[in-house]
Amino acid sequence: MLCDNCGKNNATTHIRSVVNGVVTEKNLCGYCAAKQGYSSISNNGLAGMLASMFSDVLSSGSNSAEKRCPVCGASFSDIAESGKVGCAECYNTFYDELLPYLKRVHGSTKHTGKIPNKAPLAVKPEKETVEDLRMQLNTLIREEKFEQAAVIRDKIKKLEGKENE
Amino acid sequence: MSNWYNVTAPDDDIAVSSRIRLARNLTGLPFPSRMSGQQLAELNEKVKAAVLESNTPFAKTLKFIPMDSVPENQVYAMVERHIISREFAANRQGRAIILSDDESISIMIGEEDHIRIQVILGGLQLEKAYDTAERLDTLLCDRLGFAFDQRLGFLTECPTNLGTGLRASVMLHLPLLESSGEIAALSDSVSKIGFTFRGMYGEGTKALASLYQVSNQITLGISEKNALDNLSIITKQLIEKERQSYKGINHLKMEDICFRALGTLKNCRILSSEEMMKLLSRIKLGQSMGIIDIKESPVRLLIEGQPYMLMRKHGDMSAEERDACRAEMIRKALE
Ligand SMILES: [Zn+2]
Repeated sequence: MLCDNCGKNNATTHIRSVVNGVVTEKNLCGYCAAKQGYSSISNNGLAGMLASMFSDVLSSGSNSAEKRCPVCGASFSDIAESGKVGCAECYNTFYDELLPYLKRVHGSTKHTGKIPNKAPLAVKPEKETVEDLRMQLNTLIREEKFEQAAVIRDKIKKLEGKENE
Repeated sequence: MSNWYNVTAPDDDIAVSSRIRLARNLTGLPFPSRMSGQQLAELNEKVKAAVLESNTPFAKTLKFIPMDSVPENQVYAMVERHIISREFAANRQGRAIILSDDESISIMIGEEDHIRIQVILGGLQLEKAYDTAERLDTLLCDRLGFAFDQRLGFLTECPTNLGTGLRASVMLHLPLLESSGEIAALSDSVSKIGFTFRGMYGEGTKALASLYQVSNQITLGISEKNALDNLSIITKQLIEKERQSYKGINHLKMEDICFRALGTLKNCRILSSEEMMKLLSRIKLGQSMGIIDIKESPVRLLIEGQPYMLMRKHGDMSAEERDACRAEMIRKALE
């Protein structure tokens, strides 16, 4: 079910209210619920809580808004808005920004569970080709995500510049 | 092959099912919300090859199923059998799953994470379910390479799953704790120590068939073993509490309630899914308390009586037709 308010995220908060005997039901995503003043911690688990914690980033206008993930093009406010991280590399890019939230959600920021045999020491994205980027660019333009498209276009320019050198 | 709800299992008088879910992502691909259709198709192929071309027993029991090839009734019947999430079903275009013969193992590809490994077993069998999920995880990780960070563990689209990516849950049938009102206090204390406690199948706080789900919330900074042990301890306490409530019950009154439910189910001609769930919950309680002696599993009937499960067997039906079909199915099963 999608959020009644933004229609973009999954609804995680279900609110039933009775005003003058009239029952209204609302299904909101964590972020919209927080924005409308519903505490989402009690019954909607962590995704809602996370989005509501991020809401102060959104309202105060983060100073890291300009920084973008070099692989997927997400900014920290994209992540805060959706409660979803763009790609594995985002965790490297926004590690410092995410840390306080992770601490509040999990109470810890250090993994103590299973370690895979082939664990890469750091997450290194595969080298992107101009071809890959062009495909990404087309998708972004089709989806009217022009900000992200601009980032990819710059990357293509850079890569093509290198090839011509 | 028998599904989890068709076989008897430890503690299944109260613990209906145990579920393990591992969230995993590949390196070098954006997370699913940012993936293109083509990237999703590539992901499907990679995961399919990793499982089916592996020289393991998994390759023999697991099948790759593109969701576009599954008729709508069957898709939502999968949701009703807890094989896939409702969200996955709603956005299934281009997505695929890998499913075992007995449907205990499923891999959702391209849901919130690239890979969601799920193992579901009847009763309280968290360790056994985790063992299977873990072996499948290791197989996939060796062949595909998962996004992993020494500090943050397995990297997931939602930061709430970081670390182990493990969500373990047990579905419990708690009719007496519910009717005594103790459930609210228990729910509060369980959530305070980092677990989620919620009603299944109901709107808001009311659980339709007294079915509740307990699951771990925290995935970072806790090992899989600790998370499973803690959940297991809490679950066992809840099971014990429910069993202890049998003692304070007026036996004659309880017999009356259970046999009335049985009488209705054996004789009804029209049965809504809400009424079915309410009555089957009483049959289950009657069975667990030793009041009703029937072989049939109320949990199996509860699942097979869900709307899409009925339509999966008998074709498209209106709500009225379904209510009649449901009544007949249950009557026959209880004959
Ligand atoms: Zn990224």
